[in-house]
Amino acid sequence: MTDIAISLEEFRKFREFFYRKTGIQFEDSKRYFVDKRLSERIRQTEAGTFRNYFTLLRFQVSGEELQQLTNLMTVNETYFFREEYQLKCLVRSILPEIVARKKTGDVLRVWSIPSSSGEEPYSIALYVSELWPAINEWAIELISSDIDTDILGKARDGRYSVRAIQNIPPALLQRYFTPIAPNEYRIHQELRDSVEFTRVNLMNPLDTSCYRHFDVIFCRNLLIYFDDLSRRKAAEVFYDALNPGGFICLGHSESMSRITSLFRVRKFPEAIVYQKPELP
Amino acid sequence: MALIKPQTPFPDAQFPVAGVDSLADLLTTLNEPAPPARRWAARNLAAFTEAVPDLLAALMQETDASVREALLISLTEIGNAEAVAGLVECLRKEDVVLRNAAIDAMRSLPGAVAPIMKNLLTDPDADVRIFSVNILESLRHPDVEQWLIDVIGQDPHVNVCATAVDLLGEVGSSKACTALEALRSRFPDEPYIEFATRLALTRIREA
Amino acid sequence: MNTPSLPDCRRVLVVDDAATVRMYHRQILEDAGFLVVEAINGIEAMEKALSDRFDLYLVDVNMPKQDGYGFLRELRSRDLPQAPAIMISTEAGPQDKYRAYEAGANYYLIKPIKPEVLLSHCRLLLGMGGRV
Repeated sequence: MTDIAISLEEFRKFREFFYRKTGIQFEDSKRYFVDKRLSERIRQTEAGTFRNYFTLLRFQVSGEELQQLTNLMTVNETYFFREEYQLKCLVRSILPEIVARKKTGDVLRVWSIPSSSGEEPYSIALYVSELWPAINEWAIELISSDIDTDILGKARDGRYSVRAIQNIPPALLQRYFTPIAPNEYRIHQELRDSVEFTRVNLMNPLDTSCYRHFDVIFCRNLLIYFDDLSRRKAAEVFYDALNPGGFICLGHSESMSRITSLFRVRKFPEAIVYQKPELP
Repeated sequence: MALIKPQTPFPDAQFPVAGVDSLADLLTTLNEPAPPARRWAARNLAAFTEAVPDLLAALMQETDASVREALLISLTEIGNAEAVAGLVECLRKEDVVLRNAAIDAMRSLPGAVAPIMKNLLTDPDADVRIFSVNILESLRHPDVEQWLIDVIGQDPHVNVCATAVDLLGEVGSSKACTALEALRSRFPDEPYIEFATRLALTRIREA
Repeated sequence: MNTPSLPDCRRVLVVDDAATVRMYHRQILEDAGFLVVEAINGIEAMEKALSDRFDLYLVDVNMPKQDGYGFLRELRSRDLPQAPAIMISTEAGPQDKYRAYEAGANYYLIKPIKPEVLLSHCRLLLGMGGRV
């Protein structure tokens, strides 16, 4: 099957549009990568030409095609310690700043959404347990949510392939995982018990209204797939969920600049994160 | 380790779940001194189309960013002709934040904006015309290209034309070429117009 | 346009939601030897400003999510090495100019900007003399 030819100007036109919408910038060197995926979607949508496809992309009210395309353009794999620089930021910069404002006995609350199959919340749990010097001075509640109950079941179960755990240092792997089959590890009960998994539809106020008093939210590689209005609504949910001065981390190619100005940009040595304004 | 499971169901929200308050109660809460109360009211008023005038009135004077965001989201969700008319009025205000927020909201309401677009593009205020072209960016309507061609053919204001040229580069077809060429002669001393029209023509011709 | 490259590269952050405008300013500035980074609104501009050193900011007024005034005010309030800023707008009233200076702009230019006007103001604010 021959790919539909995409001219340089079409690539540039698309690139500007995609950057405006998502903040993701494709270098000229990514032309083959982009063209190939555009071709695929042109074929699948039966748009016939780039021009027709681009019109669909720009104006479709549901935004489904843009989401579909974004999915294709971004790498979606989940695995332990993905975007590790943010976990480093959590233990080296974010948590120290938060506890400086807390009183002894205060509980810290972290929300990780979407949980997917659990790699992210368990990564947070592992990192915080092993790499945060102050872990024994503070109690942390770790809540992780997803809209999909099947995947929540998988997350609670805590079984992972070799591929998912490949970034975990051997010492940690040995301490917190048990090999249960040639290609499968299970995370220990104590870690499984340390995360509360809940079902949440971010767009449903009945689900989200009781999520409050969080100090840190991880929402990585989710909002990028939402349309503009849904992103803003999600941002509001997170704003309400955070304590004043609380932090939110997005995926590495995501930015609040495409979503809302409610949060303050903060730059730590490890990462850029966003902060709910502190009380005056 | 000090990771603990949440001991109880999550702390109660300060305000009850959506749907329990009447319109009258929500409108009262919309005037509360505390921003979280106003924000909560603004959000729940999305369910009441009758609330549009109050939401708009609140928007015009709200100083808290989080409340303003909630008001805009609710107005966008209601998104009827009355809401859009109110957002158009925001375009005429001196408040830059309000204006840009209104533009953003209208971009999410192509259906409601389409019927009034032609009028907006010929508004006596050049700034309103510029903002209207900005809003056109997300409008799917068979006449968009023609409207843009008309703008660059007739609008006396260079920045209105400049904004239109930018968009034509993205949505224009060969139909726009003559008008784009003509624009250069209308503003022969503007290097930006020369640059932008050349870019738009390249985009159109080499697509 | 053949202008000699300047001895040390000055970095300019160009903030505007219109891609064509950013491209236009980029071309003018790069041809004159500046290094250009782009941002589409005040929030993205802050992310860049916090991550890199800039010698000059070129800031549009009307942008979605955060406008130029908001960005400049915040920039000036942050504990960051500061740099001059030129505010750029389509508006032409005296109020707009004073508002820009109050927000922390060093100069205010009206779009569309001619290359020599942009360059002379950039050079002036960078202490490079006003020669074009």
